[in-house]
Amino acid sequence: MRNPLRKRIPRELIKEFGKYAVIFIFLTATIGFVSGFLVAAGSMTKAYEESYETYNVEDGHFELLSQITKEEITRIEKEKVTLYENFFLELDTDSNGKKDTSTLRVYQNRDEINQVCVMKGRLPKKENEIAIDRMYAENNKIKVNDVIRLEGKEVIVTGYVALSDYSALFSNNSDMMFDAVKFGVGVMSKEGFLQFKEAPHYNYSWKYKNTPTTEKEKKEASEDFLASLVKVGQIKNYVPEYDNQAIHFAGEDLGKDKSIMLVLLYILIAILAFVFMVTIHHTIVKEAGVIGTLRASGYKKSELFLHYMASPMLVTLCAAIVGNVLGYTVFKNIAASLYYGSYSLPTYHTVWNLEAFLLTTVVPLVIMLGVNMISLLHSLKLSPLQFLRRDFKKNKGKKQVKLPNVGFMNRFRMRIMIQNCSSYFTLLGGIVFSSVLLMFGLMMSPLLSHFQASVLDFKLAKYQYILKTPTSIENQGAEEYSALGLTFVADKGKEEEITVYGIKEKSAYVKESMPKNGVLISDGFAEKYKLKEGDTFTLKEKYENKRYKFKVQGIKEYPAAMAIFMSNKAFIDVFEKDEGYFNGYFSNKELDLPQEAVVSVITEEDMTKITRQLDLSMGDMFVMINVFAVVLFSLLIYLLTKLILERNTNSISLVKIIGYDNLEIGKLYLVATTWVVIASILVSLFLSTFVMKWIYAFMMKEFNGWLTFYIKPTIYIEMFVISIMAYAAVALMQLRKIKRIPMQEVLKNVE
Amino acid sequence: MSNQEKGTPLILLENIYKIYEMGEEQVRANDGINLSIQKGEFVAIVGKSGSGKSTAMNIIGALDVPTSGRYLLNGIDVSGMKDDELAGIRNKMIGFIFQQYHLLPRLSVLENVELPLLYAGVSPAQRKERAMKALEKVGIADKWNNQPKQLSGGQQQRVSIARALVGNPSLILADEPTGALDSKTSREVLTFLQQIHEDGNTIVLITHDNSIALEAQRVVRLKDGKIIFDGPSEEYRKVQVNMQ
Ligand SMILES: Nc1ncnc2c1ncn2[C@@H]1O[C@H](COP(=O)(O)OP(=O)(O)O)[C@@H](O)[C@H]1O
Ligand SMILES: [Mg+2]
Repeated sequence: MRNPLRKRIPRELIKEFGKYAVIFIFLTATIGFVSGFLVAAGSMTKAYEESYETYNVEDGHFELLSQITKEEITRIEKEKVTLYENFFLELDTDSNGKKDTSTLRVYQNRDEINQVCVMKGRLPKKENEIAIDRMYAENNKIKVNDVIRLEGKEVIVTGYVALSDYSALFSNNSDMMFDAVKFGVGVMSKEGFLQFKEAPHYNYSWKYKNTPTTEKEKKEASEDFLASLVKVGQIKNYVPEYDNQAIHFAGEDLGKDKSIMLVLLYILIAILAFVFMVTIHHTIVKEAGVIGTLRASGYKKSELFLHYMASPMLVTLCAAIVGNVLGYTVFKNIAASLYYGSYSLPTYHTVWNLEAFLLTTVVPLVIMLGVNMISLLHSLKLSPLQFLRRDFKKNKGKKQVKLPNVGFMNRFRMRIMIQNCSSYFTLLGGIVFSSVLLMFGLMMSPLLSHFQASVLDFKLAKYQYILKTPTSIENQGAEEYSALGLTFVADKGKEEEITVYGIKEKSAYVKESMPKNGVLISDGFAEKYKLKEGDTFTLKEKYENKRYKFKVQGIKEYPAAMAIFMSNKAFIDVFEKDEGYFNGYFSNKELDLPQEAVVSVITEEDMTKITRQLDLSMGDMFVMINVFAVVLFSLLIYLLTKLILERNTNSISLVKIIGYDNLEIGKLYLVATTWVVIASILVSLFLSTFVMKWIYAFMMKEFNGWLTFYIKPTIYIEMFVISIMAYAAVALMQLRKIKRIPMQEVLKNVE
Repeated sequence: MSNQEKGTPLILLENIYKIYEMGEEQVRANDGINLSIQKGEFVAIVGKSGSGKSTAMNIIGALDVPTSGRYLLNGIDVSGMKDDELAGIRNKMIGFIFQQYHLLPRLSVLENVELPLLYAGVSPAQRKERAMKALEKVGIADKWNNQPKQLSGGQQQRVSIARALVGNPSLILADEPTGALDSKTSREVLTFLQQIHEDGNTIVLITHDNSIALEAQRVVRLKDGKIIFDGPSEEYRKVQVNMQ
């Protein structure tokens, strides 16, 4: 390009250095963060996927009530599987004098199956040594070489590890969420393991000799194996690998965030593209005469197009490049530490991610190009003559707007608003976007606390026992109930587990009386799948095809889980149980039940696990989102008020000549903008509630269960105050700028 | 007319009509214009405001197309040409001077003058040299490195004349070039135009001012979109009073 116009581009960038610098920094940081995130997630996903082979992850495990002999093992194996002893102890800790105890599940050093990734320090050798899960250690502030107490015995932590079958620390596979504060895993030497008196859990891992590949093959292999295992008897627990949350949860989550991050990035780029669009349009209007002359003297549209596109494209390109460099260096580590804060993932190696690179370079450039191209080509469509005559069709219409007679100052301000309509619309869009982000950042912690409180408020009982077989007990204030899990199949085949409760008549624990026909459904189930009274829905059995149809007769406030409720009579009827069947107890006291009879107990702590874990793993993220939202908000206000002032430099210097002082001029120009900003903030408080509800529903679809949507009312006040403060800071800066506009400006500008 | 025997005219307008539809009303901005201009002429198109001068100039400059009629520029019919082709023709053949100077901020005087040399296929060094020569011609070479806003109105207009000249166009079109200038500066600008004419350039000057029109060789007077006089300026001097 030998175009002499080219020389203006660097000068433009220098003259408007401040503007381009903030846009550049902001874009770079955003692209950098997203790129870092994608790279970290990509690399960790790879490490996670490879861990199956690297650490020889099991095809499943089962637990028996007692140890079995070598002969029995050989009999079970029958050339189909290989069994590995993988016994563990569940030990209570009381480390660092803390009163709260947590549970450590301790295995022996593993050589063959589910091997361990040492992330810091070393594996234990001596009797009084242990290596523990890194995330559990960090959550409980246990450092390498610290001493912790296990069942009263002191042991030294020799290292941090990640167990390949515990990337998410689920203590029980049927749990909704895991709790990496209260539960951890670790490994000890053989001597160390054997020093504890209590009997270990007789857990065996298996590996198929012919590894099944498809989901269907895996299911069939597992069912066959289970059938042959049942003959051995007394299975306490049976978890095939494909059904193991501790193994799969982290891997699935790694992929989920990607799409959200990208959508946010693209919306942001689109907003900045609109800012550029408005800026370019402003420049074109200002330089219309020259454009007309250049077009008259033979310049083609394409040359002018390139000229006006150059700056935004250059800034975006540089931001994409620098952002990606930072993504691979700085931000990757930040993102990785976010993941390490939630999951016990093994050490990863950064891998080059072509897809991430394209998504964070090419796509932003295309969006920037696309938005500006549409507008620029539209502006440049005007003939050279129209440019020379400054004959912009849009303006014609606007001039005809009749302003009401509301005094000179107000009319002036209204004229400013009409003139800068497109800037103000961009501003509104930007404010709505940043408000949604801000709302998201501010609302999640209160939402989690609110959820936790209402889970406890609306719980069925303090203790919910699930029994293996109906076991009668002396009445300790407990009440029998029945429960089982069915599957709800939502759109796109997403399966959601629903607990079905059968409740005794005149229950002391469930105050609602059960409907004669149909069921009550929990509020979360209703909210998530938009079910109303009178609707019918179908549930199916997990591994079979048996289906049940239910009619909604009411909604019961029970946020703790996705559940439906019916009378125990109906339960027995529907599921063909024997007369008087039940399989659990509600109780407000701990019950004295034989351990073998109990499958599990749900306590208050279990019910609030999910909120604790979410707050822990996402708390930092919420803060980051808030900072980002405020910066974006200020940036947009800055860019667009600047543009509005620039568009009016002539008139500003004119009113200066007439004798207005700076403050009065500031009032004239900024008051109009202030009105628009305040109105936009109010509109966006309103709008973002709707947008948020929608995004929230969309987001929650991906998860199991439902967290009740809740916006703490004070959040609106917080948002308003934060936004106004950010605006005030920018407005003061602009007032300084008004002072610097010289009076001669108007006399120089002939156009 | 008198010039017809000299071969292909540079400009040949045949039965040019330009009609604007304004709702119910029709504005006949150019109402059947026939005009032929030879290479090397200095023609002033004069008339009251609204008489159709700019409309005619826009057609001559290939910035606009007539509603009907034929326009041959240097023997080539330009009415059917596409945008980019027209742009090419304008770049090679025509230099424009407007009442407003339309200089680009953030480019120096010299760079502004270099702008039209984009398509001439000249090297950057040549480009600079030719722009400098054009600036010398209008007597403002010493300001070559200034920004447009550092110049007075007259100086800016001289830069815009240099810009019109730099590509050695066959035709220079000037629409009210002195409209924004005081009478002394206007004289100066006219003197440049005369010099340029003496160098062999063809000039079409548009003005509402009879005294300025008289500086040209030949005067064409428009009224309500029609030519009411076309002849040497000496002749126009005699009849001008009758035409007000
Ligand atoms: N784009 C246009 N749309 C409608 N009418 C126009 C347009 N341009 C010029 N006219 C009308 O055509 C007539 C001639 O205009 P113009 O050629 O600009 O006159 P002059 O340059 O002699 O003052 C005027 O009446 C003017 O109002
Ligand atoms: Mg005119």
